[in-house]
Amino acid sequence: MRKISILSLIFILFSSVVFSGEINIFSARHYDSDIELYKKFTLKTGIKVNVVSGKSNALEKRIIEEGTDSKADLYIVADAGTLGAFEAKGMLQSGLTSKIIKSAVPYNYRTSKWVGIAKRARIIYYAPERVTAEELLGLSYESLANPKWKGRLVIRKSNNIYNQSLVASLIKNNGKEKTADWAKGIVANMARTPKGNDRAQILAVAAGEADIAIANTYYLALMLSGKKGEEQKEAAKKVKPFFPNQEDRGTHMNISGVGLVKNSPNKENAIKLVEFLLSEEAQKHIVNNTFEYPMIEGVSPHPLIVSMGLDFKQDSKTEVVNFGKNQTDALEVMLAAGWK
Amino acid sequence: MRINTWYISSFFISLIVAIPIITVFTSFFEDTSNYFEILKDTFLFEYISNSLILLIGVLFFTLLIGVGCAYLVSFYDFPGSKFFKWALILSFAVPAYIYAYSLTAFFENYGTLYSIIKSLFGEGNYNKQIPKFDGMFGAILSISFSLFGYVYVLTRASFHYQSQNLIELGQNLGFSKRKSFFSIILPSARPAIVAGLALVAMETLSDFGAVSFFGISTLTTGIYNSWISFDDLVFANQLSFFLLLFIFALFFLENISRKKAQYHTPFRGGIKRKAKIKLNDLHALGAFLICFVVFFLSFIFPVLQMLYWTIIFPKNYIDLNITNLLLNTFHLVLLTSLILIFFAFLSNYGNRVTRSKLLSFLSTFSISGYAMPGVILAVAFITFISWLDNNIVKFLDLNSIKKVFIGSIMGLIIVYFIRFYSLAFNGIKSGYERINRSIDESSYLLGYSKFKTFSGIHVPYLKNSIFLIGILITIEIIKELPITLILRPFNFETFATTAYIFASQDLLEAAAVPSLFLILIASLFILITSRYILKD
Repeated sequence: MRKISILSLIFILFSSVVFSGEINIFSARHYDSDIELYKKFTLKTGIKVNVVSGKSNALEKRIIEEGTDSKADLYIVADAGTLGAFEAKGMLQSGLTSKIIKSAVPYNYRTSKWVGIAKRARIIYYAPERVTAEELLGLSYESLANPKWKGRLVIRKSNNIYNQSLVASLIKNNGKEKTADWAKGIVANMARTPKGNDRAQILAVAAGEADIAIANTYYLALMLSGKKGEEQKEAAKKVKPFFPNQEDRGTHMNISGVGLVKNSPNKENAIKLVEFLLSEEAQKHIVNNTFEYPMIEGVSPHPLIVSMGLDFKQDSKTEVVNFGKNQTDALEVMLAAGWK
Repeated sequence: MRINTWYISSFFISLIVAIPIITVFTSFFEDTSNYFEILKDTFLFEYISNSLILLIGVLFFTLLIGVGCAYLVSFYDFPGSKFFKWALILSFAVPAYIYAYSLTAFFENYGTLYSIIKSLFGEGNYNKQIPKFDGMFGAILSISFSLFGYVYVLTRASFHYQSQNLIELGQNLGFSKRKSFFSIILPSARPAIVAGLALVAMETLSDFGAVSFFGISTLTTGIYNSWISFDDLVFANQLSFFLLLFIFALFFLENISRKKAQYHTPFRGGIKRKAKIKLNDLHALGAFLICFVVFFLSFIFPVLQMLYWTIIFPKNYIDLNITNLLLNTFHLVLLTSLILIFFAFLSNYGNRVTRSKLLSFLSTFSISGYAMPGVILAVAFITFISWLDNNIVKFLDLNSIKKVFIGSIMGLIIVYFIRFYSLAFNGIKSGYERINRSIDESSYLLGYSKFKTFSGIHVPYLKNSIFLIGILITIEIIKELPITLILRPFNFETFATTAYIFASQDLLEAAAVPSLFLILIASLFILITSRYILKD
């Protein structure tokens, strides 16, 4: 017994040695469809893809603690704010500057250290029978703080990164002080103490708990697809999407993105994978599985996303690097307003 | 004092267990970012008050359910009483986070309950009438139903030894049933109840999965967040300090109560075994209903919810690589059990042959790991290894040790070791207590060496204990979440991490399959050991 345990320990020690021709991905975006995508990449290039999945903050902590010994090459997450904050800690390196990457990704969705691979919009959902066309006219994130929405709005907690990025973009555009007042208005308008995920906010509108919700675009498509069951498909039909800020900078856009980790041991392979993720084949795979918007030109989103409308104005003025830069301020503003 | 193998190994074990404690307390002196300086007091207050509300809520429910059920099945005979006696411990198979998933799935807007009502009464917006069990109340319910088993098992064991004597005593004194319950039965079982509640309290304060799912900031999630997201070690350690104070108080309370509980147990042969009181129809129905509702809510409900989802979303079942998850889980179980049992033997045998006070103190210290939240253990372990690597290993010009310990099976097993050592140690200890010391002496007289005595006599004698410990470790590791989540290697998932990751991605229905398997496998092992857990 004892011998066996010692032998197996030795075996484990050796089995953790890194082989060449691999990439190690730390992913907070662990859709099964992403794994399928990595398999396609391996088939094409022969490069093995290893994945550690988990919540972003735990993954970051591990990369930081491992320091120069970290095996992490790429860090994949579903929010620009997360990448920006990680970059600010000095944990990413330049290198995502190849021609392919630069020509595929618009400048406001990339830096030399991280790039977007898909887009999502954070929009307003409303109950058509309780919200009038007049009320929707010219609706913006800013005007949601108007007292006429008192007791009618649902949105998730302030610790949620999508909210932090949205508020960070407001701080960038309107300043911290104005945004602090805005946050107070939002809290005053909430129909309930924030709880649940984005989908739960949409369901709350469908169930009549609130009239409007703020949530990301792909959630509604996901529900409409029937992947969440018949009940939710029916519920999703009871709410309508609305793309705010059409009369000024456009609707808040965020990204799923990938960052090149500072001590990446397989940098070349990592860049190859990023380029692959921006290929037409990979982009089609992503948008059809996750209901996001493609990052590159010439790929159509999933039909359900198309049916929500494509001719809206996207905010391409606010560079997504600001989400990370203003993240701390955003959280401070929300907490000070009593946003749970 | 002779320095020998026993001392060295006991010191070694204590040292490993001491790593997280020392790390937490020494980190006080490190520089950190001063994040949210102004808001800290608010946070601290919120964390402490949330932890307290959670604790009080869970203690209330587990006391009520645990003692109530133990009382009914110990003293009364009613339809199903034999069945419920063991069925109620199946609640151990459902971790609080999986209970939380079920609760949400069932009661959420357009959730399972909505579907049921709709299929019975037709279309309609029933969502507003459906109560929502989320937030703090949801967390209290989830944790209570997954932990009341501790109170139930310990209280039942205590009631069992007292059995009829006390009820008779009450009758002789002319007490009503209620009065004899409150003035005789309950006080006599108090040490057992307190020990059970202390265990519940420690587990509640350590809970990570359920509270983070419901988005409640407690001391444990606060430590995790300020350490992991804000790199604010000072604040994390202030929080850890509060939490550990709490927990060590409970730890001592539990130890003292256990000793008292032993003190109260038999008078061997003094127990008068008599048939349990047979309840009349109405009372029997009442007792049956109470036990049934508890059994249903604690076990059947989450199983049914997960099963329902697995059936209506079969793709998730097909996509999941169950063999792989099983292999991973048993890989961990096998290695951890072997190592834990080996060291538990070594330490117990050392205590036995030397009878040293120091050794027995060290062993008491080294079992304190189970009181510490898994989150703290894992994070402190990583911090310690990187400190060691940066300050000592690099200084000696050796290869980095981080790869060996962080994100490896090795690191995972060391932290499991710290967390579960008490299980193994106490298991072997109680086995040893049943082997008379004179057997050892006879063995020496016959010319057996110490090692021969150990391997030829003790090990075979303790076969049952080893088996039991192995299974208890298995159950714990199958359910373990935060340590595995933080320290696991590349491409390595267990049922628990898979369920958690799906759930945190808003894929609760996909979390159903690994959750269901987790519950079923854990149930199987609980059934195998139910004889021991409920030993009469």
